[in-house]
Amino acid sequence: MNLGELEKKKYTRREIMAVALARQIKDGMVCIAGTGLPLIGATLAKLTFAPNAVILSETGIIDGRLEELPTGVSDTRFAYMASAWWPRYRYCGFLLRMAEKIDLGFLGGAQIDPYGNLNSTCIGDYHSPKARFTGSGGANGIATNVNTAIIMRHEKRRFVEKVDYMTSPGWLDGPDGRRKAGLPENKGPVAVVTTLGVMRFGEESRRMYLSEYYPGITPAEIQAQTGFCIDVSGAVEAEKPGEDVLGILRQLDRDHIYI
Amino acid sequence: MLMSCKEAIDKFVNDGDTLAIGGFTTNRKPYGLVHEIVRQRKRGLYIEGSGAGGETDLLIGAGCVKLLINAYLSNGAFGNIGRRFRRAVERGELEFDDYSLDVQPLRFHAAALGMPFMPVRYLLMGSDLEKKWGIPAERYRQDPKLPTAKLKIGEDPFSPGEKVVYLPVPKIDVALIHVQKAAFDGTARIEGPVFVDDDLAMAARHVIISCEELVDPEELRREPWLNQIPLIIPDAVVHLPFGAHPSQCVNYYDYDPEMMYLYENVCQDDSLYENFLQEYVYSLEAHRDYVEKIGRVRLDGFRVDEKNYVQNLSRRRS
Repeated sequence: MNLGELEKKKYTRREIMAVALARQIKDGMVCIAGTGLPLIGATLAKLTFAPNAVILSETGIIDGRLEELPTGVSDTRFAYMASAWWPRYRYCGFLLRMAEKIDLGFLGGAQIDPYGNLNSTCIGDYHSPKARFTGSGGANGIATNVNTAIIMRHEKRRFVEKVDYMTSPGWLDGPDGRRKAGLPENKGPVAVVTTLGVMRFGEESRRMYLSEYYPGITPAEIQAQTGFCIDVSGAVEAEKPGEDVLGILRQLDRDHIYI
Repeated sequence: MLMSCKEAIDKFVNDGDTLAIGGFTTNRKPYGLVHEIVRQRKRGLYIEGSGAGGETDLLIGAGCVKLLINAYLSNGAFGNIGRRFRRAVERGELEFDDYSLDVQPLRFHAAALGMPFMPVRYLLMGSDLEKKWGIPAERYRQDPKLPTAKLKIGEDPFSPGEKVVYLPVPKIDVALIHVQKAAFDGTARIEGPVFVDDDLAMAARHVIISCEELVDPEELRREPWLNQIPLIIPDAVVHLPFGAHPSQCVNYYDYDPEMMYLYENVCQDDSLYENFLQEYVYSLEAHRDYVEKIGRVRLDGFRVDEKNYVQNLSRRRS
């Protein structure tokens, strides 16, 4: 389960996950990032691979010049020299009126199923849960309207056949799911960045498959940590995080807020 | 209009009222007003929340809250879940329902404009937010404090066949809002992000404003376009410097990481939590005692610089 001994000395799992997350953001993209690891992924991307990416959040911040790591989406660090900080209701216009301008949204969750349906609400019964979390936040609207990259700890109990509560729709029950439900058909989860690798979704099947595994991790280990059958046949080893990127990441989060 | 915190909460917040709280998670949260509600041991409150933070968690932890309609509750990276909220739900001590951070501002906006309901497309649809209701349908129908349903699914009357979600407007008794500047006539200015607060002020039956600085009305009236809250809206203006501590207040101060982590720690143990309430709320008579307790020197260390935060502020867990 651990990264290979040699690789492990060079970076932690959260570090490689943060770098993998940042790599989902290409220069010039318009992305929505929420609290948690998406914030460090977005900040790292802005400072390295994607200086011209535009990051927005459900608090109404649009295109902050991130210099220091924000602890949440209302942190003024997220808004430094931003293009605008709108009232919150106006942000809804990005989802409902201008979704075509958004390339990618970032979400986190507690449970995910093979079609990328996501639970960030509770474990167990919704009314008397074993564990209760914060709830949707902005996730439901993002998942419904724009393509998403999802950040997960890769554990068997989190990668499940059926989520206990579907906070945010993925591809629902497969290729036709969104059309049947009356949701935007061509938007949905495109990547799941985990502590072990990067998953993507079949163009036709809309089912999750293993795309990349981190150096030191094997596809068999990933299958063992996934609670449903996952196609690992086409997977390749992920690019190692460069020393320079790791250096920037560690300087950025020197207080160990996220990593 | 101008009154003490004690008087404002005593006069305008009743047991069983529905509150809406301004700010967002760790930004401009009206902690001073919330502390006074805890101190006066208000009970049975309903909360219409959206970007809730430690202030709502505190009201739950102190036993003031009966029912929470919300979308998110956390102090961001200072503790990724409102732990007293979580514990109350897991122990069956809190009634709750879930919306999302896009839907709640739209509901508040509709309430502020007097709309009968808010129709939306492509939000909540197809998820368990639509299908599983935290509060049973019958309870919605019977409690006059609640709308008659969480939502209804219907058709767009102008585009037959298109599915629409109808959201009810919230009924808010009291809005609690901390602002940077207010005047004794009731005029108030939020410097920095407004979030949903102008809508809350307009939607609520009563509005309590706390402010960093109490200024002459003339100062605010010189640039009326910068004021979100006109004099006829608030019921009370309370002067509470550092009234949003330990959250951020744009143009004034950054958040207090040590206090955020302290809250996260005490939340994990019932007796530690009780001691915390005793030490930081019940044993203090008023907000000025809280300011003294935190310490002027420490608070001055959070004064924002030109980037509107404290550069290189340590946020290391102690």
